[in-house]
Amino acid sequence: MECFHCLQPVPKGVNLAVEYKGSEKPVCCAGCQAVAQTIIQHNLHAYYEHRDTSQLQESPVLPEELNDLDLYDNPDLQKEFVRHEGADTELATLTVENITCGACGWLIERELLRLEGVQKAVVNVTSRRVQVSWSPGQLKLSDILRVLANIGYKALPFQPNEAEQQYARQRKSYIRRLGVAGIATMQVMMIAFGLYFGVVSDLSPDLQRFLWSVSLIFATPVILYSAQPFYAGALRALQASRLNMDIPVSIALLGAYSASVYATITNTGEVYFESISMFTFFLLTGRFLELLAKERALKFATNRLTLLPKLANRETPEGYESVAIKLLETGDIIRVKAGETIPADGELLNKQAQVDESLLTGESLPRSKKLGDAVIAGSINQHSPIRIKVTATAQQTVLAGIIAMQDSALAVKPKAQQVIDKLAGYFIAAILTVAVITYFSWWWIQPDHALWVTLAVLVATCPCALSLAAPTALTGIIHRLNRDGILLKGSDVLESVKHLNKVCLDKTGTLTEGKFRLVERKDYIDSETVDKLVSGLELFSEHPLSVPLSQLSETPASFQDVTNEMGFGLQGKLDGQLYRAGSESYIQQWHPEFKAINKHQVVIASKERVLAEFRVEDQIREGAAETINWLKNNGYQPIILSGDSESRVQSLAHELGITEYHSALKPEDKLAFVTAQQEAGNTVWMVGDGINDSPVLAKADLSMTFSQASDLAQTAADVVLMSESLNQIRVVIESALKTRQIMKQNFIWALVYNVSVLPVAAIGMIAPWAAALGMSLSSLLVIGNSLRLYRK
Amino acid sequence: MMSPINPSADLVTAFLMGLAGAGHCLMMCGGIASAMGINTRPYHVWLYNLGRVCSYMLIGALVGGAIGLFAPEGGYTTIILRWLAVAFLLLLGLYFTGWFSGLVYLEKSARPIWQKIQPLAAKLRNKPGIFATFFAGALWGWLPCGMVYSALSWAALSGSASGGALTMAAFGLGTLPAMIAAGHFSQFLHRFLRAQGVRTAMGVLLIIYALWSMLTLIKPFF
Repeated sequence: MECFHCLQPVPKGVNLAVEYKGSEKPVCCAGCQAVAQTIIQHNLHAYYEHRDTSQLQESPVLPEELNDLDLYDNPDLQKEFVRHEGADTELATLTVENITCGACGWLIERELLRLEGVQKAVVNVTSRRVQVSWSPGQLKLSDILRVLANIGYKALPFQPNEAEQQYARQRKSYIRRLGVAGIATMQVMMIAFGLYFGVVSDLSPDLQRFLWSVSLIFATPVILYSAQPFYAGALRALQASRLNMDIPVSIALLGAYSASVYATITNTGEVYFESISMFTFFLLTGRFLELLAKERALKFATNRLTLLPKLANRETPEGYESVAIKLLETGDIIRVKAGETIPADGELLNKQAQVDESLLTGESLPRSKKLGDAVIAGSINQHSPIRIKVTATAQQTVLAGIIAMQDSALAVKPKAQQVIDKLAGYFIAAILTVAVITYFSWWWIQPDHALWVTLAVLVATCPCALSLAAPTALTGIIHRLNRDGILLKGSDVLESVKHLNKVCLDKTGTLTEGKFRLVERKDYIDSETVDKLVSGLELFSEHPLSVPLSQLSETPASFQDVTNEMGFGLQGKLDGQLYRAGSESYIQQWHPEFKAINKHQVVIASKERVLAEFRVEDQIREGAAETINWLKNNGYQPIILSGDSESRVQSLAHELGITEYHSALKPEDKLAFVTAQQEAGNTVWMVGDGINDSPVLAKADLSMTFSQASDLAQTAADVVLMSESLNQIRVVIESALKTRQIMKQNFIWALVYNVSVLPVAAIGMIAPWAAALGMSLSSLLVIGNSLRLYRK
Repeated sequence: MMSPINPSADLVTAFLMGLAGAGHCLMMCGGIASAMGINTRPYHVWLYNLGRVCSYMLIGALVGGAIGLFAPEGGYTTIILRWLAVAFLLLLGLYFTGWFSGLVYLEKSARPIWQKIQPLAAKLRNKPGIFATFFAGALWGWLPCGMVYSALSWAALSGSASGGALTMAAFGLGTLPAMIAAGHFSQFLHRFLRAQGVRTAMGVLLIIYALWSMLTLIKPFF
């Protein structure tokens, strides 16, 4: 765990936190806590969003340089990111720098599958991750990394901080390229204005040649340095037998540059330095904006993978020692203090213990464990310190299994992007064909004009506005939703909202808050006395149901000789008389004829008579009723998927007016349900909060969770709701619909512009510089339209 | 822009054909080339390739000379040869892209000649010594290859033995980078050049060039 403020590891036993945007963040010391609280109270949240965290972070476990790839074969290190899937199968997730499009993904998959020993390789282009499984007998992880390095991709085992650092590096490189292009473009444009508009009248050939040479000098770094990403993209696309926008762009840039250099040297013809500089600058700007949006999205996805504690307390003959979790071995005995997260799967060595497994099971009540029972990594030890004999560590644990399950679900998620890529391929093929025909025609009619007209065609039809249409709208919706306290992690929402017809909701922690409160009571004597008695007894209970009851009175009665019968209730003595508070069956031992009112779970009684009965319920989340109503009225069917018991789910469904509900579901049942719905042609959104929900969150067409939810659920979800209200679901749907509309307008505009400018450019009515300007204005219009999303 | 009806432009065309075929060469002859590179000293690689280019020149001289001797002087010969050359350029482009493999039939028809030469080539390849290496390379030059036949159609255009040899030398020069460096190229470059997409792009370029050459042939009649 890292300190939220200084990013240093939080020492063991320190349990301090600050509240930041509705969630608790751990800090390492009172000093950091005070500083962080001050910053947050002064409304300076922005500090935490914009600061450069790469400098202050712990030095990463893994070296950055590729020279030491062999290091990744070290079994101790591999425990951090490699998972054994079977006797001869290992699985790891890698982050890969510079994946830019579907073609890269295709290339990587194909390349990896060619290796002997690689069993599976799935690339997720949006998150830039590769999931690969291989047989360790046939090859090593370093071989896989080397193969990827050989085809130009830098892959590293997945470590959240590294992915972010890669993005930061890319961003910096883009800024440098943009800077060079911007400065050079301004110079070249100034000269070009002089040449075009005759600011210098009667230009002498010598002066013209001089100005051309100066332009050449400024345009050269733009073409050779700033435009590099386009060439790289074009070559990668060619290698993968695909066409992308980078190909016509590269042809236009290099062709125009070569022709201009030739013209400058021979002092004949025309130069196009200003057009290509401008073109590069605008294109780079578009790419840069897209990169920023992607970086933002990925940060949300990767920030939260530090789930397990990093150190464990291992028993040795001399006492206890702190040891990194990855170094734990099966058979080790570890100690876990009360309130700590259990770092590895194991067997309980104490007589009994209470653990909170809500992260894994979604079950809101702590579980009792007896000597020899299995405990699961990621669950929290509730009361006294316990000793555990380790049975599985790190990547072998149940938790790691669930994470892997979720990653697989993510990997097979259908992507509308593939359709767009394919369409873009045809469009570009058409552009290239038209360019060739244009060149031939002009060469036939007027050879002198052939080159610049072709150039104008390539530049004017460059589908930049087309390529900006989606990312700018996406950035728009990200900002818009952020303002409403909603984090969006990808663009899936835009695609899936179109066909959305079913919204599945988890019960505990989603439709309800996961906190118990007293909803109904029936007193058989005066309620003040009851309050004193029940709160006095329930003070001795650790059961969550008892929390609201123990707070009923300011002056609880002081019981003596209190005994706690697990699963039944409490018994205590007051003024020589015995009292009991607990379940119906517990009270029936004294009063066999007593029957509690339906749904009343807690009864208090003396030996003589029953005193009162209570119904304690989980509180329904704010906005649940309106949201369910709104969903139903707008044609979205709400469905409850819960791991809870039939009766509880039924009563909640009834209360909210939900007709379809499924109870007592295990994580795989939820997954199966959603899969079946999807196969039946439905588009399913899932709202959930627990670790047990994370596989189904990953599988659903779109998933939402709350910021108070488990880290894993947040990792799996596409949308994280920061506020506690369910009304946010409606905001997401409405914003997504609006964004779709704007995106559609963008697409239509870009297409209309490109298609109508094509013939005009082809008949030679547009000079290259005007084509570049038109292309830029078209892009600006698209950006401007997307900016409307920022307004309320 | 230079017109292809121009001897130096024909040389450039032949050179470009060799260059564009880098991926094709690596696929077909990369094995032989890198085997040479591994087992011998650097200058042997050069010698080996020199032998190959010399063979190309010899074939070019034969074809060019034959045309010069036997073909009737006059406009029609040139025009027919030029159309033939352009057609071969087109075929080569289509061959690279994988859209149409007509050249393969030509390769097949030349196979009997190669079958006679092959045993000798195999014998020579394992022999040390400067001359053996050179001759092994020279025999390599007779390997059935669609690219070579396409280049020969341009050699024929020159209408003389010397011109034919020169054209084939230009072509051989174009193939040198891929063949000399076959053993030294990075794995990445190898894979890049051999990728179908890259070969398709090269093929498309040749096709465009062929179409443009056709236009230049047609234009005078309008």
